[in-house]
Amino acid sequence: MSRTELLRKRANELLSQGVVKLVLGYRAGAQDNVAQPFFATTPDQTAELIFDSTCSPNIANYLLKVKNIGRVAVIAKGCDSRSIVVLLQEKQIVRENLYILGVGCEGVVHNGEKSVTCKACQYPNPVIYDEMVDAPVEKTTPGPQVLKADDDFDRLTPDQRWQVLSADVARCIRCYACRQACPNCYCPVCFVDASTPQLLGKTHNISDNMVFHIIRLLHMAGRCVECGACHRACPMGIDLMRFNRRITKIVRERFDTSPGVDINSPPALTRFLPEDSQEFIK
Amino acid sequence: MGLFFNHQLPPNWTQESIKVIITIQMADNSDFQPKIVAFLCNWCSYAGADLAGISRIHYPPSIRVIRVPCSGRVDPFFILQALQQGADGVLVSGCHPGDCHYLTGNFVARRRFAVLNDLLAFCGIEPGRVTFAWVSASEGERFAQLVKEVTEKVRQLGPNKKLIKEIPQ
Repeated sequence: MSRTELLRKRANELLSQGVVKLVLGYRAGAQDNVAQPFFATTPDQTAELIFDSTCSPNIANYLLKVKNIGRVAVIAKGCDSRSIVVLLQEKQIVRENLYILGVGCEGVVHNGEKSVTCKACQYPNPVIYDEMVDAPVEKTTPGPQVLKADDDFDRLTPDQRWQVLSADVARCIRCYACRQACPNCYCPVCFVDASTPQLLGKTHNISDNMVFHIIRLLHMAGRCVECGACHRACPMGIDLMRFNRRITKIVRERFDTSPGVDINSPPALTRFLPEDSQEFIK
Repeated sequence: MGLFFNHQLPPNWTQESIKVIITIQMADNSDFQPKIVAFLCNWCSYAGADLAGISRIHYPPSIRVIRVPCSGRVDPFFILQALQQGADGVLVSGCHPGDCHYLTGNFVARRRFAVLNDLLAFCGIEPGRVTFAWVSASEGERFAQLVKEVTEKVRQLGPNKKLIKEIPQ
């Protein structure tokens, strides 16, 4: 039986046995290359569920929209499960109300090729699940990878780096698709939407754009699981993963932690150690 | 003097040499008085600045102090906003680790600042534009010295041109 068939079978069983109220997964999207999230509430609807390389949105994002209806089954690949761990740590969802159907993932497609995040994926299999559907996939990437592009970027002078990044960020139209695609961005009022007082200018001036991206990253520090949903959601093709990889690297090097892996290790910026490095402080 | 009587321009009054002088003058940052926004914690650094004042210690008049209850109150967004509004530098100062009035405020802030510091370096904001420091209430001398150093560093860097928000005319 194929993985999609196994999924449909288990989802059907869970719904007809009344274990869960809803199964959250994917179905074929209007566009060929991106599946859309699907909320199956009756056993019949589970026939529409799919799982393949087009299932690129982070499903944990949609979990927040159904957190109050009772027990929900969710079909989670590696990065989705890490986002679920972050949401559990931040007490946005309750573990008892979740039934995680884990699936191994061979990478999702973006613009006709394997997404840049998936090429260096360290967690193709879920880190947390109630049952695995089908066998786990083989893990190919041993440890954190440093991309050659990042290495080259580091060698530039500060002025050159600013030029490269500001040229990239200048294209931002401030649609906030990156925020909407991210399961970590669940604030009822985002700092960019705050209007009394208005915190950040609404223009696509380079200064406002840059500050938006820097603050977005700081909010992601110690929480971003590098699923790449924001990167794929960006209509302007801004290389958001360059920023995300960096923030993850900073947190990994400074605090020796990776977000969303261990449920008992809370996000890096919510805790501290007296002996944290402070060589940058006078 | 002979040149004057001959109704000739002295060599440094020619158009070319004046242009060179203008270029040198414009490149020279020694007249540039940077504006530095200082976020000082109420319990330590603000009192340290106060002590520097009471002790009549001279330091450059470049800082604009914003008193905050704790360095933990300093959202990185404040720092970026100061740069957006035209500050040439930002100084953030709080109690030494272990001395926080609220016990752990500066420990939490320290992690946040570490990430901000590395991220600004990555984005190409010059090192020294944003400075973090620990200054206690008894370190008036040190505070004055710190402001001197920070002002000198920002003066070398020149006016903030990167993150400043310029409205097109």
